Amino acid sequence: MALTSKRSGALSALALTTVSALLLTGCASGGDAPSAEAGPVTLEFWGWAPGLETAVELWNEENPNTQIEFFRMTGDDGAKIPAAIDAGTAPDVVQMSVHSIPGHIINNRLTDISEYTEGLEEQFTASSWKGVSYNDGVYAIPQDSGPTGLMYRKDLFEQHGVEVPTTWDEYLDAARALKEADPELHIAQFSPNETGLWLETVWQNEGTWYGIDGDAWTVGIDNEASQEVAEVWQTLLDEDLVKVVDMWTPEYWAEVNAGTIATINYAAWFPGLLEESAGDLAGKWAVAPSPRYDGLDTAGETGGSVDVIPEGTEHVEQAVEFTTWLNSSPEALEILITEGGLFPSALTGLESESLLQPEEYFGGQVINEVFAGEATKVPDTWVEGPSFDLAQDQLKDAFAQVANGKLTFAEALTQVQESTVQDLKDMGLNVK
Amino acid sequence: MSTAAATRAAAARTPRRRRRGGGGERVAPYVFLAPFIFLFLVFLVLPIIVALYTSFFQTQRSGLGFGGGDGQKFVWFDNYALAFSNPGFIESFGRVLLFGAVQVPVMLAFSLVLALLFDSAVVRWKRFFQLSVFLPYAVPSVVAALIWGFLYQPRVSPIVEGLTSIGVPVNFLAPGTVLWSIANVAVWSVVGVNMIILFSSLQTVPREMYEAARIDGAGELRMALQIKLPMILPALILTMLFSVIGTLQLFNEPMTMRSVTSNISGDYTPNMAVFSATTLGGDINLGSAMAIVIGLVTFVLSVIVSVLSNRKRGSAK
Repeated sequence: MALTSKRSGALSALALTTVSALLLTGCASGGDAPSAEAGPVTLEFWGWAPGLETAVELWNEENPNTQIEFFRMTGDDGAKIPAAIDAGTAPDVVQMSVHSIPGHIINNRLTDISEYTEGLEEQFTASSWKGVSYNDGVYAIPQDSGPTGLMYRKDLFEQHGVEVPTTWDEYLDAARALKEADPELHIAQFSPNETGLWLETVWQNEGTWYGIDGDAWTVGIDNEASQEVAEVWQTLLDEDLVKVVDMWTPEYWAEVNAGTIATINYAAWFPGLLEESAGDLAGKWAVAPSPRYDGLDTAGETGGSVDVIPEGTEHVEQAVEFTTWLNSSPEALEILITEGGLFPSALTGLESESLLQPEEYFGGQVINEVFAGEATKVPDTWVEGPSFDLAQDQLKDAFAQVANGKLTFAEALTQVQESTVQDLKDMGLNVK
Repeated sequence: MSTAAATRAAAARTPRRRRRGGGGERVAPYVFLAPFIFLFLVFLVLPIIVALYTSFFQTQRSGLGFGGGDGQKFVWFDNYALAFSNPGFIESFGRVLLFGAVQVPVMLAFSLVLALLFDSAVVRWKRFFQLSVFLPYAVPSVVAALIWGFLYQPRVSPIVEGLTSIGVPVNFLAPGTVLWSIANVAVWSVVGVNMIILFSSLQTVPREMYEAARIDGAGELRMALQIKLPMILPALILTMLFSVIGTLQLFNEPMTMRSVTSNISGDYTPNMAVFSATTLGGDINLGSAMAIVIGLVTFVLSVIVSVLSNRKRGSAK
């Protein structure tokens, strides 16, 4: 008897320590005490764009009543955010990819800030505002975007006497001409692992992966706009006009440096990376607007980042005030553009002098003139959806099979369309 | 009367004191074990219970899913049904089992041969070579996969370029070969540590047995096969068990090598499928169910391996 009670005593003591340890950790991280007073508030802000520190410093100087504490995110910090929001320990403002917004909204992780954003719409490009608003709600302030432009090897086009294409039909002809002039030369690369290259063109063609119809989601991964894009890519692949190589790999950069890839139709933030990884090719690149689809004068876009206010933040008004200033005021944009090389979503940013500077790497061309012009031509048809990450990953896997000749682009799209509809249903959502 | 009572009391006290002392001895081990038990409960048992619990629920949503109204609903085994109806998840098991069927024997054979060589008298500079074989184990698997990924890539790999230039076109990252390229990384990483386990086990074999064998005219090979191998069988089975478990847990190498080739899908191994379901799909309930399935399969396989090996050991005697 005595022994049993002693043992159970030890066990309950152990249980107690466990519980108190858990409670302690819970308390420590959820410790922000609510302050009802109108005194100065301190907001925690997590982000990754370079230059945010300087912008925050400037804000803190000018706004003694709303102080921002900035934390630089690196690597996997983003993965912590959902769990932190669910546990109520998230920062007050977080930078995230625009694509991941709906997934967080349906999990009740983001604050609807529409009551504080009246009239703000006009200050941003149409497509970037579309990305943060659903029905009557607004869930983020756009920060940067990735309008598409055609980076091309000016020297190679000149050497082989090929015109820079302005339509996708001309693009195919140019691809054939370059290939004929030099069998090693491909007009572009096909990278199964980088869906951005695909997404931007679908967006340009007024397509979208998701849509909202009443109270149901629609999935458009294999809709007409997409299939038109697929046709172009299938031709490029079938005629061996593109080099199949995964993007961002050392192999990819080796190909770029070796001069086997003549054009890269990609986002406005890419030139910086190009300069970094292919420095020897300085002066050989130029930027032109992306080739157009028949009858459309629209540009592509890969999506950018936004600043969200996680659910549970107390000082929503101040947080919105700060993020609005950060992303639309000329002085903050100036810092983000010059220090961060950020391509702004705000219209004032597109006119900023610091954005429109000649680039030495591109032979003195003011490349951002092209990108800024394209940014305003991005159609506002694209709707972000709740299973974006999953759909993107499934598309990568399907495209890998396309690269290996096991599927066609059209089949890959149909396959991912089906699995995405199923994924949404599994989430318990209405799908039409 | 008083003396008698005192004696009786003393007599009664002695065994009681002895019993109490015995009780103290029984408590001591538990005090020392307490940190382990605490960590064991918090980081192993509790997560399993939580995973099991979450695997029986699903998040309820309606319409677009905006505006909340979601709760957790008890759904019995629906998540398990979902996991089993996911072809990618099922295929991933087939893939790692194939991987294990090749990688484990190859790796163990390497480890065993190396351990026997180091144990025999024929190898010089033992310490140096032992360290060289062991060193890859000190390299984190992610780093190892990155290094090998570099060596596998056309255009940047001296190996691929070298082979291509002498007329042997190779593609280490093709759909059919990438699994074996991962296996190569795994073998390279863990041969050393298994070699050490087997080698230490060899060191415990009484040296007199070798002398006796030598007197009986046995050569090194015969000694290795007929004395050393049976003596270290338990250690060999242990390493095999660890390797089988490690195979099912395969994650770091394929996940890292995914950054250099798209021929590794998001659900290439069971653990990657769980990762995909939870981080990309945001479905913790489904992920929990998948994790429980992996746990069960690992458990069953471990039992099979130990039962089979026990039987073998029995027949060897």
